[in-house]
Amino acid sequence: MRSSLGRFNWIMFAAMLALAAIGTVFIWSAGNARAETMFHDMWKSNLVTVGVGLAVYLAIAFSDYRKFLEWCAVPVYVAAIAMLVAVLIFGSKVYGGRRWLWFFQPSEISKLCVICLLASLFGSDGRRSFRWFVIAAFLVMLPVGLILLEPDLGTALTLVPTVVLMLFVARVWRRGLVMILAVGIVSAFALLGAVYEAEKPGVTAARRERILKWVPLKSHQLSRVKVFLFPEQDLTGAGYTLRQAKISIGSGGFSGRGIGKGEANHLKYLPQSISMNDFIFCVYAEETGFAGSLVLLSLFAALLVSGAWTAVVARDSSGRLLAIGVSTLVFAHVWINIAMSIGLVPITGLPLPFISSGRTFLVTVMAGFGLIQSVSIHGREIKQ
Amino acid sequence: MKRDESMASELSCWAAMALFVIGLSTLAVRLKEVQVDGAADYNYEKSRQSVRRVQTAGSRGRIIDRRGRVLADNRRSLSIVCNASAFRKRTWEATELAIAGAVSNVAEIVGRPSSLSISAIRRHVHQSLAMPLVAWRNLSEQELARFAEQEYKNLGFSVLETEDRTYPYGSLACHLVGYVGRDHARGEEGDERFNFREMELCGRSGLELYYDGFLRGVAGEKRLLVDARGFTEREWIVSEPRRGPDLELAIDADIQRVAEAQLAGVRGACVVLDPRDGSVLAFASSPGFNPNEFVPVLSREVYSRHLNDPAKPLLNRASGGTYAPGSTFKPVTAIAGLEMGYPADLEYECTGVFVLGGMKLHCARRWGHGPISLRGAIKESCNTFFCNLGMDVGTNVLMSTARAFGLGSKTGLDFPEDRAGLVPDDAWKRKTYGERWYPGDLAQMSIGQGMLLASPMQMALVAGAIGTGYMVTPHLKSDLPSTRRRLPFSKRSLDVVREGMRLVVSGGSGAKGGEGVDAEVCGKTGTAEYGSGENRRKNTWFVAYAPATAPRAAVALVVENGESGGSTAAPKVAAILRRIFNAQ
Repeated sequence: MRSSLGRFNWIMFAAMLALAAIGTVFIWSAGNARAETMFHDMWKSNLVTVGVGLAVYLAIAFSDYRKFLEWCAVPVYVAAIAMLVAVLIFGSKVYGGRRWLWFFQPSEISKLCVICLLASLFGSDGRRSFRWFVIAAFLVMLPVGLILLEPDLGTALTLVPTVVLMLFVARVWRRGLVMILAVGIVSAFALLGAVYEAEKPGVTAARRERILKWVPLKSHQLSRVKVFLFPEQDLTGAGYTLRQAKISIGSGGFSGRGIGKGEANHLKYLPQSISMNDFIFCVYAEETGFAGSLVLLSLFAALLVSGAWTAVVARDSSGRLLAIGVSTLVFAHVWINIAMSIGLVPITGLPLPFISSGRTFLVTVMAGFGLIQSVSIHGREIKQ
Repeated sequence: MKRDESMASELSCWAAMALFVIGLSTLAVRLKEVQVDGAADYNYEKSRQSVRRVQTAGSRGRIIDRRGRVLADNRRSLSIVCNASAFRKRTWEATELAIAGAVSNVAEIVGRPSSLSISAIRRHVHQSLAMPLVAWRNLSEQELARFAEQEYKNLGFSVLETEDRTYPYGSLACHLVGYVGRDHARGEEGDERFNFREMELCGRSGLELYYDGFLRGVAGEKRLLVDARGFTEREWIVSEPRRGPDLELAIDADIQRVAEAQLAGVRGACVVLDPRDGSVLAFASSPGFNPNEFVPVLSREVYSRHLNDPAKPLLNRASGGTYAPGSTFKPVTAIAGLEMGYPADLEYECTGVFVLGGMKLHCARRWGHGPISLRGAIKESCNTFFCNLGMDVGTNVLMSTARAFGLGSKTGLDFPEDRAGLVPDDAWKRKTYGERWYPGDLAQMSIGQGMLLASPMQMALVAGAIGTGYMVTPHLKSDLPSTRRRLPFSKRSLDVVREGMRLVVSGGSGAKGGEGVDAEVCGKTGTAEYGSGENRRKNTWFVAYAPATAPRAAVALVVENGESGGSTAAPKVAAILRRIFNAQ
């Protein structure tokens, strides 16, 4: 136990706790701004969730992740698939998607399950051929497909860089991986270009129709891409959220308005349904300013660099893959969430890890970092 | 794990770490652009959508007479207003219904139904949600007490203090003071930067209108912080409105009161002024109205009642009404003759009628005055004498003399109505009637009849100018600089006419014009006939100045449809002069 504590990554742990504390404070701030009194006490329930997450974190951190992967990776994966199917059948509909099963969101948990399965699968050497790539692709596409059916594009999207990086680290069919990555990037730009060509001012309706026929986007996704490309065009309609998000973040200035004093949030210009969740960064940035943004980014950097460092020093593949997988997943969430709030990428519904309110995701992410901590503690014993 | 493979995979982990750091740094750079470089722009955008600028009204200055008596004042008016943000509901309809329900609840407490209809509430919610909605105006003390007693029940309602105009002396000097309506507060240029402008009092007639810009307060500014739906969250004051200055008049309310008392029951007007500097001391027109009836708003019913009254109470006869001056014009004709070189002892034979071609003009004395001199002709108001004199003087000289006295042009009075009257001539007659100027027109004009028209204000100025030898610009505001110009006539001519006018009062046609006045009064009567047959009416005049040697007051008084200048108008002028000159 002594040696366990010695290898415990305190920086990662402290950064995580600090982020969870910040999250609780801004869930209080965002919740207080809402008219419905039920949200005023949301921060308390977040605190309880942090407690639960911490328990899960510590339990996982001090148990050996190898045993966990050996015993649990496959059953947990199967359970995740089962839940994803169940949510499509029994899930309650919120904001046009079936994402909730009873009190949690299976899609959030399933991301960690996929990481665990891949870590377990590629923990052993010699699984680098194309065949294994196909197997991995199938095992990933199954939950991703189910998540897309909910639909929850954002969650599915974050899995792509996670899996790609994990396969890279596992050195599975790298040549093909590079090709697929290149094709993915090119087609993303082609998609943006096509939407731009179709929606730029002065395009005839017929031509627009002709181009959009080839664009595989649903109408709400298309409108988000349009807002991303032409943010000034529809300020009261589809562009309203992005505009309010930018106003909120931008008006924070260097030092912010003070905690609990954000006007965009309290005067409800920021859409209330998302201010506690996907757009909580706007509340944070307005109230703490650029200084606060830097603090937040530094904390995430401490967390993610620690995670990557754990991967670097890990002496076995499964531990390394776990650390890289979880870090990349969290990085994807952080980056896309903040980038969409300032218009760098189209708006995608994604929570900001530790800050957004959302019990399932918070516990999942803390469990993920528990795994990294476990890798940090137990991952070097192989040396002797 | 093989060694080289392990190395390669370790390298991938370093790459991942680099990706994280670069990714987060990119965000930091971009956030710096948005939050630090863009802060001013985004703050402006934010205030544009969440801050409403309200122009607040400053209170209106009072109107006071030369002794500080308040003719127009402000009084506190209490309203109950509804703050819509206390009734916010999910939908606008629900909000409107919530307000309507609350208003009817408060109506029971106040004891008076509100004038607000659901459509008025809807309009407010859609157009000026951020502003308070006035539900009851002009609260009485009892209503206020009832409201305040149950304040805890009246959540979302509060008492708002505004100002209404009040005229403490009622109808006194009503035409002069005028009345007010309500308008949006007026600010400096660039008003469009305000989202809302409070209503404030604005002049609609009289001095309230003429000095509207002077009396109005300086607008202040209030800002409202509104939420995404437009409900007011918080408000703060940027600049306090300032009160407008008081308008001090040259008017003396005591003289004004006497003048109005003299005109009570008749239609007519009276102007009293100080001929030395043009200060107007009284400015009366009869019948009048009570401007308090027009507060807080001039209702359609009250307005049409005044408009349809045959006595035309809204008409200001003192400077906005013109009459044939009749015999009060004769001193002007006399001066024209004297200036042409006719001697002061010039005589004409009065036979009681002046005949010119087919036209006969009778003298007041049917059997004639016999041979009569100029002074005597003024004293007795002999028509024949002045017709003859006028015919000898000629149209051009007579008219230029009349114009030298300011007739036919605006007086320059600081008042909305300043009628020029009419000094007719050949060109005017051709243009208006398509007829040439006949000698008969000249004869008519010589005795102030025919097409000649003048306002009581103008005739008061003429009387004063004869007394002092100076034409002044009349003014109502006390501190306006007085401008005066010397009459282009010799002292000899003026002295002859002054002597004639003194004789009028000391024993002539206007003897009643100086009765009991502790000053020597010079005056001239006038009885101008108009209409014919059954509709024959007489407008009776008396113009005067006093004291004879150093005039301090000039008066012109006209009574429509009177008996004669000497019997109808002169005693009224005497009463006014007694108020001025006799020790009280």
